[in-house]
Amino acid sequence: MAILHVDMDAFYASVEVRENPALAGRPVIVGGAAEGRGVVAAASYAARKFGVHSAMPMARALRLCPDAVQLPPRLALYSEISQQIRAIFARYTPEIEPLSLDEAFLDVTASETLFGSPVTIARRIKQDIRDELSLVASVGIAPNKFLAKIASDLDKPDGLVEVPTDGIQVFLDPLPVTRLWGVGKVTGGEFDRLGIKTIAQVRGLSREFLQREFGKFGLHLWELAHGRDPRPVVSDHQAKSISMENTFAVDVGDKAILRAWLMDMGEQVAYRLRRQDFYGRTVQIKLRFADFKTLTRAHTLDTATRSTREICQAALTLLDDALSVTSAPVRLLGVGVTGLCDEPPVQQGDLFAGGETAPDKQRELDELADAINNRFGKQQLRRGGGFH
Amino acid sequence: MNITLERESLLRPLQAVGSVVERRQTLPILSNILFSIDGGKLTLTGTDLEVEMVAQLPVETPDSGDITLPAKKFIDICRALPENARLDLKLEQDKAIIRSGRSRFTLATMPAAEFPNIDPIESPLEFSISQQQLKKLIEQTQFSMAQQDVRYYLNGLMLELSQNVLRAVATDGHRLAVCEVDAELPITEPRQVILPRKGVTELMRLLEESETTARIQLGENHIRVELPDISFTSKLIDGKFPDYQQVIPKDPARIVTCERQPLYEALHRAAVLSNEKYRGMRLTLSANQLKATVHNPEQEEAEEELEVSYDGDEFEIGFNVSYFLDALSALKSDQVTIGMIDANHSCLIQGNEDHNSRYVIMPMRL
Repeated sequence: MAILHVDMDAFYASVEVRENPALAGRPVIVGGAAEGRGVVAAASYAARKFGVHSAMPMARALRLCPDAVQLPPRLALYSEISQQIRAIFARYTPEIEPLSLDEAFLDVTASETLFGSPVTIARRIKQDIRDELSLVASVGIAPNKFLAKIASDLDKPDGLVEVPTDGIQVFLDPLPVTRLWGVGKVTGGEFDRLGIKTIAQVRGLSREFLQREFGKFGLHLWELAHGRDPRPVVSDHQAKSISMENTFAVDVGDKAILRAWLMDMGEQVAYRLRRQDFYGRTVQIKLRFADFKTLTRAHTLDTATRSTREICQAALTLLDDALSVTSAPVRLLGVGVTGLCDEPPVQQGDLFAGGETAPDKQRELDELADAINNRFGKQQLRRGGGFH
Repeated sequence: MNITLERESLLRPLQAVGSVVERRQTLPILSNILFSIDGGKLTLTGTDLEVEMVAQLPVETPDSGDITLPAKKFIDICRALPENARLDLKLEQDKAIIRSGRSRFTLATMPAAEFPNIDPIESPLEFSISQQQLKKLIEQTQFSMAQQDVRYYLNGLMLELSQNVLRAVATDGHRLAVCEVDAELPITEPRQVILPRKGVTELMRLLEESETTARIQLGENHIRVELPDISFTSKLIDGKFPDYQQVIPKDPARIVTCERQPLYEALHRAAVLSNEKYRGMRLTLSANQLKATVHNPEQEEAEEELEVSYDGDEFEIGFNVSYFLDALSALKSDQVTIGMIDANHSCLIQGNEDHNSRYVIMPMRL
């Protein structure tokens, strides 16, 4: 197995610098406004020198680095460039699992005979991205996803680290336990208490001991410490769900505003279904309240769909149901579709389905909206709020 | 109140009335049957507030009075008594004592005053029709009614009255069944009423294959059907039935004629391998030949070929095979005609000898 983890260096910030060369070398922070409880989405390396990192509250970032150029994120632009990066990946392998706009796993096991060793492929991808997009990526190469992800992070920016199959332990042993997938503050604290700091020490523990201490998760840690990770690269064409979510700058209690957001996101999820040529059967929504309590609700349709109207309607019904029992302000709202398949569903015609709700009419409407949005940029054309 | 009843004459009316009583009730009184004795007659009433069933039988007693008894328990007791048993029913305070031979039961009662009655229908439209004909109307159409559809007006049977014709129409939005019989109706303007699904099922159970008449009363919100010894009342669904005429193909260009039975049997065999959920079937028509192909998610496949009379172009169309089988088994003609426009429009199936029943099926996109 040869897995690449490709991670763009300071992606959003680098894109902004590329778009405006006058920013080169200056500390650039992309993120939401400090007043609106914004967080740092990306910081250029010049800003990182001041201790600024992503997910940090913007207000704090600006205190650390008062001279930084603060920019609002332009997600449509990043998403467009992300597509261009994926197109480069696709030259070398069809097995691409995007994790977000700026990182992805690639399984290049079957590509070796065509393009050379994994290191050669990694170099070519980095070069293509630099030549064509003027951006810099770091790549980790390893026999599995876990190791590849650590490797890409070790020599940033512009890194290229390979973990050879016979050098896994040499690579892993000196690393701190927090490098293990899933080890954060809580488990990290536990290890600290046990006097365990490196992965080598974890490897020295018995499976039984880890299981006793951490339950099933302990077994998982034991596997990781030995450099084992059986998870395959799940490429987009095997995707299990398509979803979208949004954290509000200020918690929202107004039902009408939540409905409007949900329709907006439902429309985008439907658009992505159509673009990736999927149909989905189960529509789900996710609500996180101010107290971080999270609620998910799902509805399975009679037949799979990719229609904006059907997805939005199902999502709105779920939202109305969920909000009928609570009126707590909402911090995060998400909508997604699972149960994906790529074959069009069998469609039983309806005797009385004339008018604008007819499936054919809805399909035409969706196709037209997609064509306009593809041509003139996303979200030029949206639905009015007329669903009930 | 003190009466003696014969098990054999009591059982049938009791079961008919008991059939509308729902097992689970929000209102406790609704799980009871009302017993009223007056002028040598026992009247039994059961209701679920939507459908009411009233049966009468003669009793020999000078007494009069009303009481309600738990329906299920009383019916179970009567059923379990030996044939030709006699029951003595007697009220003692708020208990009913039933004695038969060496058996004795004490049942809880509830006051008759609490029992909900449907008020008499005001200035109803009245007409008569033979039980047989009413039964035919329901039998030929009821399987096409919707079930718990959000379009609540489809969860029932539409009766359309015009001067000379009484017509029943049922549809679930995917297929539609129409059956009509000749009738002399005392109206000038056509009228449509929708009977709820449960009422249709209950009424169907009461009807017999006989010439005896059913007397029908139609009010603003209720329909009542009076049969010998039993009377059935149901609320009507307050809604507008869709324009069914509009979906019946007027002049379909592609016409297939064939024998009904062999077609039914062929499709019935093919259906074994259809997708259990969607029940899709592909029909391919060519000169005097019909081919039905069916497959399921396990990639198993069935193919049936049949000689038919067809002189149109080669043509393919998909259907839910169950809808086809329902229509073919309801039709009684030896020969049937299937009229199709194209793969996106509804198709019409009817018998060649009997034009009273027609079935419309919307195709499936496979």
